[in-house]
Amino acid sequence: MLEQQPSKLRLKRQPIALKPNHQETIIAAVDTSTIKIGETSTGSIIAIRGATTWKQNRKYRYTRLGPFIFHITEENKNEVYSTLEKATFNTYYSSNRHASPHLMQMPTRLASLLERWLQTMLAKTLSHGLILFDGSLTSGTFDTPVQRMKEILSLARRNQNIVLAFSKMTSLRVNGYLITEHLPKHEPPYLLETTGLRFKPPIVVLGDVYVARLNKANYAFRLDIDRETPFQHRMAAVEKLLGNDLYMQGYPETLRLAHILCTFTANEVLAIKHFITRKHGIQIINRPDMHRLLFGPFGKGEIYS
Amino acid sequence: MKLYKKEGNILQVLSFPNENAEKGDYLLIEDPDARKALIAQVIDVQFASIPGVLEELLRTLPDGGVPIQGEDIDPLEIAPHITYIQDASLLVCKTRATLENEALSPSNSWLPSRSQSTIKKLSVPMLLKLANVEGTRPIILGGTKDSSLLTIDATAVDGTLNIITGKKGCGKSYLSKLLMASLIGYKATVVLFDLNGEYTSIGMTHDGKRNMYYDKVHALTPSQNFKVALDQLHLNVVMGILIHALHLPGTSSREFRRLWKHLKEKGRLTLQDLGEAIRNLNCNQHVRDALSSRYHALVNSGFFTDNLAESTLLDECLLKAKDHGGAIVINLRNTSTIDRQIVVEYVLGKLVDSLQSWKLNAVFLFAEEAHLYLRETYWDDIVTRMRHFGIFTTFITNQPDTIRESIYRQADNIFLFNFTNEHDLDVVSRASRVDAETVRSIARDLPPHHCLTLGKVVHDFPIVTRVRALDIKTMGETRLFFKNTK
Repeated sequence: MLEQQPSKLRLKRQPIALKPNHQETIIAAVDTSTIKIGETSTGSIIAIRGATTWKQNRKYRYTRLGPFIFHITEENKNEVYSTLEKATFNTYYSSNRHASPHLMQMPTRLASLLERWLQTMLAKTLSHGLILFDGSLTSGTFDTPVQRMKEILSLARRNQNIVLAFSKMTSLRVNGYLITEHLPKHEPPYLLETTGLRFKPPIVVLGDVYVARLNKANYAFRLDIDRETPFQHRMAAVEKLLGNDLYMQGYPETLRLAHILCTFTANEVLAIKHFITRKHGIQIINRPDMHRLLFGPFGKGEIYS
Repeated sequence: MKLYKKEGNILQVLSFPNENAEKGDYLLIEDPDARKALIAQVIDVQFASIPGVLEELLRTLPDGGVPIQGEDIDPLEIAPHITYIQDASLLVCKTRATLENEALSPSNSWLPSRSQSTIKKLSVPMLLKLANVEGTRPIILGGTKDSSLLTIDATAVDGTLNIITGKKGCGKSYLSKLLMASLIGYKATVVLFDLNGEYTSIGMTHDGKRNMYYDKVHALTPSQNFKVALDQLHLNVVMGILIHALHLPGTSSREFRRLWKHLKEKGRLTLQDLGEAIRNLNCNQHVRDALSSRYHALVNSGFFTDNLAESTLLDECLLKAKDHGGAIVINLRNTSTIDRQIVVEYVLGKLVDSLQSWKLNAVFLFAEEAHLYLRETYWDDIVTRMRHFGIFTTFITNQPDTIRESIYRQADNIFLFNFTNEHDLDVVSRASRVDAETVRSIARDLPPHHCLTLGKVVHDFPIVTRVRALDIKTMGETRLFFKNTK
């Protein structure tokens, strides 16, 4: 999701020092991924998959859902999306408010829908735990209506869970610099607090944004914490995360595993192609790459965001 | 299966788990448009290079090497397709022939269509039928992997030089016994140099009863039931023994030759008279000493006798074998190195003699660990001169480097059992009827009692066989210390 640059964003230079808290706490994470399997004469074949991982009693476990395979065409894209939205949330927040998504955006839309559903399920079923989201707590987009995100956070709070959303990349800048760069010389782990973050409507951020440097690796991440959570509880949650999870390059292992488990490998793409050809007789078309065709080695192909 | 690559005579074929091809299998790659088919043999099975497999494997072990526990909810059941792709294998094959109009040709210069060709396994019986490996004197070597029998024709080992090799305990003697028994079944004369006395009971079943070969197997043990009278010996044979086995110098050899002829003329060619003549020989002391020491070596071997009644067995056996077929097993067990060489020199000389005078038509000679008794010059003799007389040799060894390279180059058939040592495989792969990759790849993985048959008997289509077990009493077992101790 593209972040619109907010005005008056400030980063407090005084770090909030953190001390790992080893009190046994369940850490759970959610991630989804999507991939375009190929094109047919009428549309695209896409696959989505989601994974929830959790660390309990020093062991990681996972539940993986999918892959789910969709044949999306111009004709069926709205129907597919609304059917899934109805099936997962029994609501239609999005479909009436925005124009139909472009066919190329459908994979991420469907993956987001699955991700929100998995987050909802986790918020419902887990109690006194930490729920890690991949990305921010920004809402008000087609993928993430404000109401849906509010409901997820509310469910989590009701079950004494705290949501921590880690963004691997951010475009938020202060004085022209990315907030995750130019870190103060302070012994990690620590958080840097931001203030003055405002987005233009309809975008709403439902969390407070921090920069989290969780170990000595020279990487920091944008961390969104539910705004409704009191400050002391927020800090306690991050400290419990530090005391209960592992870190590779300062990123929580539970979230890393969720990402790894849901990502499609080339082998799986081949298997899915094999499945759709064998089971449904769908032929994938190899359309010529016009960039390659026209520009030869200078044609790098289209780059999609 | 799908044709993936061809480089020279190496084909790479993509195979999926349900297609179940293994090393040694034959494939028929049919190009319907070209109306031709390639016959290729799988010489190696590798994992197909499937993109993403490394990631797939890595993510199953992220938790400190312990597989992460979890549940996969896979409503469309894609997982079997993933494993299907992941377990795809690449068959490295060697092209063997082209099939066109139901005739085989060794050419593989054409390229079958990658998209149109169909690939299927070619059963051994079908291959043998195409290759016309059949005849009137079948020898069933054993079973192939596809539950068919590998049958060769006895005439394909007639006039040929064969090698049976493999590491210890892998079944070489099973095969040699099988070949011997089959040959004598077709009334052939077989002579075997049995180093460990393990072939002497070919005529017995495993429970000690007589089998169908009993009357045709003649076990001769030197200095026991196998003795020779000097009068029966041809001078060349004696000179061979003295020069090659007992290393008699040239001057002494000349003196001995003269002495021998003198005794022969007088009809006094006995051990006693020979000893007497050497003692009374009027010549240089060194020459007399040299002759005397060799004379005592001959006497001490116990192989020579003055009793003519004791010395007729080999002739009798050869005569019997000529008419009805039979195996003469020369039991060299408990025979010293020198005595072994004396016996072998004598037997080979006798065979050449009998063949030259047409007392015998031809002989199949089985020589086990021949380097232990065969003199240097005999190696070339066996593949050239003796072959023309009608001695067709089969070498049996577990040390392939003891057989000369020239023997490998001229070998018509090689029966190769398991070898794991690279050096051994290198030696065998020098044979002209064998390609090194096939030998290295297939022989290394052969299970016990499985043999890769190469050469004329299989029309140069290497075939893996599990050697058929005969109901023959086993004598070659190694005596073990712990076998009977509690």
